[in-house]
Amino acid sequence: MDIGRPLVQTHELRMDYGQGTGAVHALDAVELAVAAGETLAIMGPSGCGKSTLLHLLGGLERPSAGEVRLQGERIDQLSERALARLRRDAIGFVFQAFHLMDELTAIENVELPALLAGASPRTARRRATELLDRVGLTDRAAHLPSALSGGQRQRVAVARALSNEPLLVLADEPTGNLDSTATLDVLRLFDDLRATGQTVVIVTHDARIAATADRLISMRDGAFVEETRLTHGSTGRLGALAGLEEG
Amino acid sequence: MPRAVGAASKEPSHGYQLRVVQEILLALLAKDASHGYQLRARLQLALGPLAEALNAGQVYVTLARLDKAGLVRAEHVGQSDRPDRKVYELTEDGRARVMAWLDDTSWPKPAPAEFHLKLVAAATAGLGDPVRIVDVQRHAVLANLAEAQRAALAQPDGAVAGLLLEGVVLRLQADLQWLEACARYWSSMTTKGH
Amino acid sequence: MGRILLVLRLAARDVRRHPAQAALLVATITAATATLTLGLVLHGVVQTPYKSTRAATAGPDVVARVAPPEPGPNGTPVGGSHASVNPAALNALTRARGVVAHSGPYTLADTTLTAHGTRAAVQAEGRDVAPATLDQPELTAGRWVRDGGVVVERAFADAFDVHTGDAVKVGGRSFRVTGIAVTAAMSPYPSAGSMVDGHVVHPGLVWLTRADARRLAVAQENVSYIMNLRLADPARAPAFVTAHEPSENESLNLNAPPGARPAVPPPPPPMLQSWTQLSDNAGNLVRNERRALLTGSWLLGLLALASVAVLVGGRMAGQLRRVGLLKAVGGTPGLVASVLLAEYVVLALVAAAAGLAIGRLTAPPLADPGAGLVGGAGGIPFGVVDVLVVIAVAVAVAVVATLVPAVRAARVSTVLALGDAARPPRRSARLIALSARLPVPLLLGLRVAGRRPRRSLLCAAGATITVAGIVAVLSAHAQLDAQRTTSALADPRTDRLSDVLALIAVMLVAQAAVNAVFITWATVLDARRTSALARALGATPGQVAAGLSAAQVLPALAGAIAGIPAGLGLFAAVSPDDAPTPSAWWLLATVAGTVVVVTALTAIPARASARQPVAAVLRSELA
Repeated sequence: MDIGRPLVQTHELRMDYGQGTGAVHALDAVELAVAAGETLAIMGPSGCGKSTLLHLLGGLERPSAGEVRLQGERIDQLSERALARLRRDAIGFVFQAFHLMDELTAIENVELPALLAGASPRTARRRATELLDRVGLTDRAAHLPSALSGGQRQRVAVARALSNEPLLVLADEPTGNLDSTATLDVLRLFDDLRATGQTVVIVTHDARIAATADRLISMRDGAFVEETRLTHGSTGRLGALAGLEEG
Repeated sequence: MPRAVGAASKEPSHGYQLRVVQEILLALLAKDASHGYQLRARLQLALGPLAEALNAGQVYVTLARLDKAGLVRAEHVGQSDRPDRKVYELTEDGRARVMAWLDDTSWPKPAPAEFHLKLVAAATAGLGDPVRIVDVQRHAVLANLAEAQRAALAQPDGAVAGLLLEGVVLRLQADLQWLEACARYWSSMTTKGH
Repeated sequence: MGRILLVLRLAARDVRRHPAQAALLVATITAATATLTLGLVLHGVVQTPYKSTRAATAGPDVVARVAPPEPGPNGTPVGGSHASVNPAALNALTRARGVVAHSGPYTLADTTLTAHGTRAAVQAEGRDVAPATLDQPELTAGRWVRDGGVVVERAFADAFDVHTGDAVKVGGRSFRVTGIAVTAAMSPYPSAGSMVDGHVVHPGLVWLTRADARRLAVAQENVSYIMNLRLADPARAPAFVTAHEPSENESLNLNAPPGARPAVPPPPPPMLQSWTQLSDNAGNLVRNERRALLTGSWLLGLLALASVAVLVGGRMAGQLRRVGLLKAVGGTPGLVASVLLAEYVVLALVAAAAGLAIGRLTAPPLADPGAGLVGGAGGIPFGVVDVLVVIAVAVAVAVVATLVPAVRAARVSTVLALGDAARPPRRSARLIALSARLPVPLLLGLRVAGRRPRRSLLCAAGATITVAGIVAVLSAHAQLDAQRTTSALADPRTDRLSDVLALIAVMLVAQAAVNAVFITWATVLDARRTSALARALGATPGQVAAGLSAAQVLPALAGAIAGIPAGLGLFAAVSPDDAPTPSAWWLLATVAGTVVVVTALTAIPARASARQPVAAVLRSELA
């Protein structure tokens, strides 16, 4: 993890909905910096603005005020077309509701971003096969989403997000619709991503997926309230946590 | 060590003991000096039905110990020399001890009563923002959970040790859910202007 | 009972909520019902005017004519002078069985009439000043023939803009128009046609005194004789004609032994026409209109059907997804279907009433049999049967279109709770594989179209019907052009028919446009999530908009191309005569025009949809 220029940065980021007395301040002057290769988890109760922040990072919405920078370039002022290209080439999304196309098989879903980027069908198919292999779903490649479990669907979604080798993967409540077993599978996947040096920002209220991150930020009412770096070494406290008495 | 929750056959006079009753009493004294019985009343209010099972005498015993340790100062009020007529007041050392306790995020075992009282004390004595305390504690617990989870994931499939680590993770997850509930409660209390 | 009231109340509320859709739908079905009404109404109109004219003019049952033989190979008339045309053959007919009266023979000369500086071909009939017992033309203005005076047939007079008192030249001699009249013995202008110098000429008809006609005849070479016959039983006129019609061999003089061919060939036998044939010819104008209108109403009805089907499909999908709304209404999908059915049936009834009214009101000018007949239409025949047919057709359109989705909805009620699962998109592996090779807009377009094959089919069908209709209209036009009089005169037959055809073409295009709008609405609604997702994955708004457009343009193009043979076939089926095919440029223009119109109609909603904020759409749509 290099401490050079951050990959993603925000400055004085604000998002307001509505006007006048009924206005909702979803984000309040948020300052964020994510280094390349870092996995960041943002936690908070519903309505705290974490999803909004994610959408702004991914160019799905435009901020009311402030800047969002990707690799130093501002993306909050780009045209819709440029944003679309950005999402195509540099950003991969994973949604809570999976948002797979119901009428496409797993592999067709995964190859879609590559096709949208203009890759030849053969190249797109080959890459999709590799990615499905990486998430462990090679035997399910020809299945429709309706024939996949929730965890499998989300893994297909993650494979899809990786299709164009994005700089950044943004995950919005990736385990929100999953049971505990499925969560475990997706957990391993995100851990994997972290290990390969993929920059990931996860927004969640699930502690388990947040715990896979390098850094953890808590949000409340549109602002950051607490931040912790999660170490990877052993604190020696595992015994106490498990109930073993000290000396 | 607090005893495990017992059956009704236990004699009520033994009751339960709070591990950190010292810190709690100190915290309750932080706002202003109180009589012993007032402290006990506040404790009962904070603990609700659990208070009945508290050891009745523990409060006074602890107050005496604290007095001896120089963390509180007992003053006699009036001409009575009965013990419950004393008024206790927090000393500087006592205050320092309270602050250290509030900042302590060690979480050796699930202990809702202790943390709960910590928040109550912080709120009533104005010692700190309970929501803030919750946030800090949450992150500490999350760090623990992360460590335990990594250890669990590192176990090969089917290893029995993985089950133990999974247990640690799940209990910490449950703790976190309670901590979030605390945050919600104390957050709404703050907005209500308490 | 309560349930019916509930259904009606919900239907009323639905209509109030989508007033524009309801209005468009009523307009669509009204177009179909109005043309159908017109078509039905004109059915009874054809017969009456000729009968009135026949009664007024004491029309003949059979008209016999002897004409000079066809010119020889080098163009010179055979036999030289008119004397070779012998009216004796006509006289023989007066003694035939069944003939009770006759008038004539009268001379009929092919000549020209010059008026207002324009010249037209006419046939001049020589008549007595005294009224004839059979076929005395009914004067509608002025007086009957006198020396130096000419009476002009009314349809021809209207076309030539000739009035009583005008000075004209017939065959180069000056005459004055003494009157205008109608007759039942000849088809009114321009029904009768003859070949002159290789092209079709529609001569008018004028009457002169016998003396004037004889003088004309001396100067002219093409003189025929005409005789009117009355039979004891008018109904037997066609049989009489068949019995006395010369066979092919006779007219070609092939019966004579080879070596005995006379130097001067015998005069050709008389050609006969029964009054039923004349009646048919007279009714041609209205008959053609009726045929065009009925065919048009079929096409418009089919288009209306497609529109309603698309609307219903789109509405059902939208309603099934809002589970909460359904529960609040206390309903099942069966209820939703009944509400839609009630709504559209009521709208269809409104459209039927409107169509009946419009048809009834606009019928008179179309029912006018033309200036060549008197007696008008004698009141538009408008029976209960016609009304019932129109209502039945309108309701049938609504029911058929609503039926399939309604049945399907009633069957999937248990699966409803999963929202969109009640109507999962269809998957076509081949289409998906094919679209992967195409550029992004076509990739998206094909996949969006493939999700709802029924709707794509309706889109193509709509285009086919429209193009078929327009091609049929173009063919009819080409036919009319070929039959058009070569003179500079107004041709009432073709003008009115052209107007009717143009009107039908305009209605088809309007209907198709409405259809396209409905399909776009349904497509955009259905593809909201797909569009948003595609944009989240990196498709630009322009690509998505183009894709949504392509999802309609591609089926429309396919349908339009199929519409060309369909239209030609339709015209061939409807029209008894051979028709020249319209020029290839026109056909190409029709297809191209269809594509352009569909693209234009889909472009704006597609662009609007492609600019919706992605996050909002994805948030609101369930997995």
